[in-house]
Amino acid sequence: MSTNAMRRNAALAVRCAMREGARGTMMTPKSTTAPRAGTMVNASEGVPANVRTVSLQAVAIRMRSVGNIQKITKAMKMVAASRLKGAQTKCEKSRALVNPFVRLLGDTPGTETDSTLVVPISSDKGLCGGINTAVVKYSTVLNAMSPGARINVVGDKARAQLNRLYPDRINNVVVDTTKQPLTFGTASAIADEIMAQNAPKTQLVFNRFASAISFKPTVATVLSSEELEKAAEEGVNEFDSYEIEGPDRSEFLLDLSEFKMGALLYNAMLENNTSELGSRMQSMENSSKNASDMLQKLTLLYNRTRQAAITTELIEIISGASSLESKE
Amino acid sequence: MSAAAKNSAAYWRIAGMSYLKYANACGEVVRQSLKEPFLTQAKARETVYYKMTKYAEGKAGQSVITEVLPK
Repeated sequence: MSTNAMRRNAALAVRCAMREGARGTMMTPKSTTAPRAGTMVNASEGVPANVRTVSLQAVAIRMRSVGNIQKITKAMKMVAASRLKGAQTKCEKSRALVNPFVRLLGDTPGTETDSTLVVPISSDKGLCGGINTAVVKYSTVLNAMSPGARINVVGDKARAQLNRLYPDRINNVVVDTTKQPLTFGTASAIADEIMAQNAPKTQLVFNRFASAISFKPTVATVLSSEELEKAAEEGVNEFDSYEIEGPDRSEFLLDLSEFKMGALLYNAMLENNTSELGSRMQSMENSSKNASDMLQKLTLLYNRTRQAAITTELIEIISGASSLESKE
Repeated sequence: MSAAAKNSAAYWRIAGMSYLKYANACGEVVRQSLKEPFLTQAKARETVYYKMTKYAEGKAGQSVITEVLPK
């Protein structure tokens, strides 16, 4: 429930209860003797007699809803925390697949090509801090740097944001990749779809997992085999310093480029998924803390109002009794 | 398909496979040679699941769910 809706409900409750309270004051003269009732109404200056219990009710409703939200955020935090460990192991293992490629072919985000394909990798679900916004921001910068870039989105959250920013640049949207545990098979199927778009340069944007509280937005670049060949000739990468058996260079580089895309995408999706869990854990912990702060404040308010009500009632009783005494 | 792929002499390239398809097919064969209980564990890694939507001029097309479950 949004805070606005909550506020509206609370206001409504107060208004209803106030109407009841007003009726209550009108009924008091019947039950008590006439002169005393008259003085009471005058003393409260037209404020309905039940107004104190009413604000108590509103606070109690608010407390209950805050408590429920806190339960939910705590549960979400526990779920994220329990899944984080496994995801982290899987993600760290997948780095071993990527590192040799970076050593052999380098990571050259500055290569100038005719066109670029940007692949922002985001999560499908929200409530995980700012990791998706970070990916979208980096993708926006990449888009500004390479005019005419196309976008192939992975994950529903970046789709929603990028669709608003660049409605006509999106080629493809892939979602639900983590519905089943992510496999290399899934990553390579998606990599094949990406490579079918024949971009000379593909840039993956994702959150690299550093620790449970820190994620580094990262750009990884995959060049097509033609671009890799050019780079090898210009000495940008060290491919030519190796002696290689097997197919000729262009074919070898084609295989490598395809395998690199698969491996990088697999790693990037795992890294981003792990970051998502870490970030969710962190943001849910924050919101649980906020909720308990709020609950504490509301409890204080509730108790204070309750005590004030009791005190006023006592004063009323005592003053009533003393007025009776003085009459006698 | 790029020029390098057209000139390739590898039989799987001639059949129109990409390197990743070829590598995954090889992986499947290797996994098949495992014994139980490792076979079932490894088989779970063959699952492929994702949903793709092609966009044309800012409009979403038909969504296609790709699902490959281990046999």
